[in-house]
Amino acid sequence: MAESLATILVVEDDGEIRRFLCSALGAEGYKVVESANARRGAIDAATHKPDLAIVDLGLPDFDGLEVIRGIRKWSPMPILVLSARSREHAKIEAFDAGADDYVTKPFGIGELLARLRVALRHRARSTTGGVALKLGGAIVDLEARRATRDGSEIHLTPIEFRLIGCLAKHAGMVVAHKQLLGEVWGPTHQGDTHYLRIYMKQLRDKLEADPLRPRHFITETGIGYRLVCDE
Amino acid sequence: MDNRRPLFGYFWAVAAAVLGTLIGLAMTPRFDIVNIAMVYLLAVVVVALRFSRGAAILSAVLCVAAFDFMFVPPQGVFTINDVQYLLTFAIMLAVALVISGLLDKGRSEAGARAALAIEAETERIRSALLASISHDLRTPLSVLTGASSTLAEGGDRLDPQQRIALARSIYGQAQHLSDQVDKVLQMTRLEAGAIALDRDWASLVEIAGSVLNRLSDRLSGHRLIVEIPSDLPLLRVDAPLIEQVLGNLLDNAARHTPPGTVVVLRAEHLANEVIVSVEDCGPGLDERDMDRLFAKFNRGASEATGGGAGLGLAICRAIVTLHGGRMSAEPNPGGGLVFRFTLPVEQAPRPPVEAEEA
Repeated sequence: MAESLATILVVEDDGEIRRFLCSALGAEGYKVVESANARRGAIDAATHKPDLAIVDLGLPDFDGLEVIRGIRKWSPMPILVLSARSREHAKIEAFDAGADDYVTKPFGIGELLARLRVALRHRARSTTGGVALKLGGAIVDLEARRATRDGSEIHLTPIEFRLIGCLAKHAGMVVAHKQLLGEVWGPTHQGDTHYLRIYMKQLRDKLEADPLRPRHFITETGIGYRLVCDE
Repeated sequence: MDNRRPLFGYFWAVAAAVLGTLIGLAMTPRFDIVNIAMVYLLAVVVVALRFSRGAAILSAVLCVAAFDFMFVPPQGVFTINDVQYLLTFAIMLAVALVISGLLDKGRSEAGARAALAIEAETERIRSALLASISHDLRTPLSVLTGASSTLAEGGDRLDPQQRIALARSIYGQAQHLSDQVDKVLQMTRLEAGAIALDRDWASLVEIAGSVLNRLSDRLSGHRLIVEIPSDLPLLRVDAPLIEQVLGNLLDNAARHTPPGTVVVLRAEHLANEVIVSVEDCGPGLDERDMDRLFAKFNRGASEATGGGAGLGLAICRAIVTLHGGRMSAEPNPGGGLVFRFTLPVEQAPRPPVEAEEA
């Protein structure tokens, strides 16, 4: 699917914000469906079947989290959250509800469009299936369980492979701490954030050119991690 | 003056009466009975000066009773033959009431003066806040109004480059405005104790990496040296807040020192804390500015624009203090400034054990 033909649902109560979102998205070639409240948003999501939804959390009738939960019951479409709540807590709630990424208000349109492209690309890729991940000089083949860096073999532990796999499933997007811990170590370890700190350090030491300034295993402080692969 | 312990005052009222009586007994029969009355009066005055009005009245009543019983004829009974002693009693009671009354007035006046002083200080901070906010908000708002109205009303007569330049300055000022509002809100919440730390295990290397990533444009003109040992222990902190502190210090260093100079970010583990420092090689500050560095609404004298309401460092210090750490600034021996903060190290939980596959 060509990205530029994608349909985007915008659920946002503020008319001014909707207006600039729609003109910016329209200028990029996206088809835009607008909803001014949660109820309308849920209906539009079901009738228009958009490729991606942008959902504001502070809606007049219901919390935007309800819209996200509603969509997640029947669709895996990427959901991008707009939030004026800058505290990480609200973002974590949105991830728990099923959001894929977030942008904090006020935001520049460039940032929003970049996140949107990543989410749409991810959607396009997840249907085509796995290829080896290119991370700078490192290549990780999850199926063959092999990793190399600058041509030479790198040893990764089974948990390290699982961690990369979990991040790669959502490549380019944020994966919350809780989700990573749950998927890699199991539901009883969802609070053991220190596991992640230790393993992310190991992965960066093994795969990043400069572990202090990672270009692929990106920290979203207080929220989770994001894997950025080269195209 | 011991208003908070009234029972103590009553105890001394009784003790004063007893003491007065003992002294009075020692004075008889060499002294006239009037002088003994003076001893009792002294006891009442002392109690009235030191303790509450209630204790003063009690001591007056007790002294009068003791004086009457022990010394005024007929002794050993509470009856009085000479009416003039009634006057003595009245005077003792009056002295007790007058003195404690005067003291009460003095005490409440002192309280009122203290309240006035607090109010004046609050007023001073409020007006500093207002002055600072109105300056910091008005400048970007003027740019926003001017640039956007130019675009809206005459945009079609401008060439594309001019339009883009105007739009860019709107964007920049709006971001600046947003930062200011965030800072004022955060400082208010910090002061109101409304920020609860969301502590979790975090890696300082990661936090630093995230900050350096975010500030890479801002820091690109400086020579940045990072010295963080890779075996630094994990810290139990509110990572986004610590990221904010680190970001603020590095941003300040980049903004207030000439391009091309060195900025050093260092961390070390000493005893039960981690010490993080940001050193710059800029012009530094004179002693007076040094003292006011962490004060709210302070902006360096030379700093005409973009000071961020002078709240940044006050916020940083409040965040570090909330974590149980300390934050300080001192001149860098080689010129410039060193900002340093500490974070307590807690015993980290055991790391996961992974059984290696063959």
